Amino acid sequence: MNTSTNHTSLPLLSLSKTIEVALNTAMRLDDEQGKAFTPLEDKVISLTLTPIESPLYLIVTNTRISVQTTLQGEADAGIQTTLIDFASLPIQRQLPHAKLSGDTQLAQDFINALCTLDIDWEEQLSHYTGDLIAFKIGHGIRSFFNAQQGVKDTVSQTLKEFLQFEIEAVPTQSQVKRFCHEVDDTTTQTNALEARINTLLTPS
Amino acid sequence: MSQTKPTIDFGFTDVPLQEKVKKVKGVFDSVAGNYDIMNDVMSLGVHRLWKRHTIELSGIRPGKVVLDLAGGTGDLTKEFAKRVGKEGKVVLADINESMVRVGRDRLINAGITGNVEYTITNAEALAFPDNTFDLATIAFGLRNVTNKDKALEELYRVLKPGGQLMILEFSKVTQPLFAKFYDFYSFNILPKMGKMIANDEASYQYLAESIRMHPDQETLKQMMLTAGFDKAEYLNMSEGIVALHRGWKY
Ligand SMILES: C[S@@+](CC[C@H](N)C(=O)[O-])C[C@H]1O[C@@H](n2cnc3c(N)ncnc32)[C@H](O)[C@@H]1O
Repeated sequence: MNTSTNHTSLPLLSLSKTIEVALNTAMRLDDEQGKAFTPLEDKVISLTLTPIESPLYLIVTNTRISVQTTLQGEADAGIQTTLIDFASLPIQRQLPHAKLSGDTQLAQDFINALCTLDIDWEEQLSHYTGDLIAFKIGHGIRSFFNAQQGVKDTVSQTLKEFLQFEIEAVPTQSQVKRFCHEVDDTTTQTNALEARINTLLTPS
Repeated sequence: MSQTKPTIDFGFTDVPLQEKVKKVKGVFDSVAGNYDIMNDVMSLGVHRLWKRHTIELSGIRPGKVVLDLAGGTGDLTKEFAKRVGKEGKVVLADINESMVRVGRDRLINAGITGNVEYTITNAEALAFPDNTFDLATIAFGLRNVTNKDKALEELYRVLKPGGQLMILEFSKVTQPLFAKFYDFYSFNILPKMGKMIANDEASYQYLAESIRMHPDQETLKQMMLTAGFDKAEYLNMSEGIVALHRGWKY
């Protein structure tokens, strides 16, 4: 058994889901329905997006891609590139500095197949923010109840990291603007939830 | 007749052992249709994250054979089916036919066909040969099983050597203040929501009670080792509202 980590960090989990949704949405919208991926069926590609160290594992099955953060055993092929290069793939249509490993032909086929897709990262950002609300409800609870500032601190910390991360990956103005609106919404919703819970906790 | 019939907890009410199976079935018969909506409401949507986390940590890959025991309406089965590919297989097994029927319809609607099998079976007597599965999961199901030790032994038996069991289940909240809030939520808010959404306060009262009666993290880990697992560990999610226990058969 060769699972790399025992606990997966939440931003990484969210990233894995975001990439999964982005790729599958793009495949569904594709004229060819992602046919370019057919030769890759039942293969696993590991994708390392520096500066993020942990790889993501992309499993191709029946013109669908599943993404996860751990894998039993080895991937069939590996691709290492930067997050920025990967995010610009829909425009650049190439990964100029990618390092390929394992079955390098397979890795190249995968890159070529990705290049056939129009991936709308902007659309997917909204899902990512939606996830963040859920993460904070589910996982920010310790700080929520322990510290006075509680949720506010963890939320703003996570959002800050997230924001830096996304601004680097998706640098256009409109995207950033829209994203910031969503961050505002997230904060408002989390604050409302906090207020509700505080009311419940206040002894009457 | 003597009065020494074995009894077992049904939520907080002790009932004769044989009746529990029937009662649990009744609970899930009455919630099957609204089950997915209630899950979202009950957990504020967070159950999706717990499940996602479970899938991610399974490390599943094409070609593997998976048992989703107490699989209900098929949330985990659906994700595993996407990952095991055409060479792999997922078996959704549940004691309750209504839940399986809802699950099967949902999965077929989602285009998941070909590598999923549906079986009605009791966790305490699994209808599978020894050493069948690479991975077995039981999510929010063990709590409802009458003889948990037997179920764990059965899960161990049907796993292949090298195989892994993942148990996702409500557990014991670790943070005291939060535990207080959570109790309030479970016993006051949750049954009321059950009434509003599913017009079924009693079933959700049972859910709250059964969560309380379920063994805590360390106890369940010990039970896994006693059942034969060669290694067991757990991970708390959301402060222990839910714990993911993992066991390996070497
Ligand atoms: C709360 S649902 C969980 C369903 C699904 N795993 C999920 O996470 O959404 C619990 C399921 O356990 C099933 N169940 C209860 N007792 C069982 C037993 N002894 N053997 C098999 N399944 C059982 C119920 O029928 C029900 O579908």
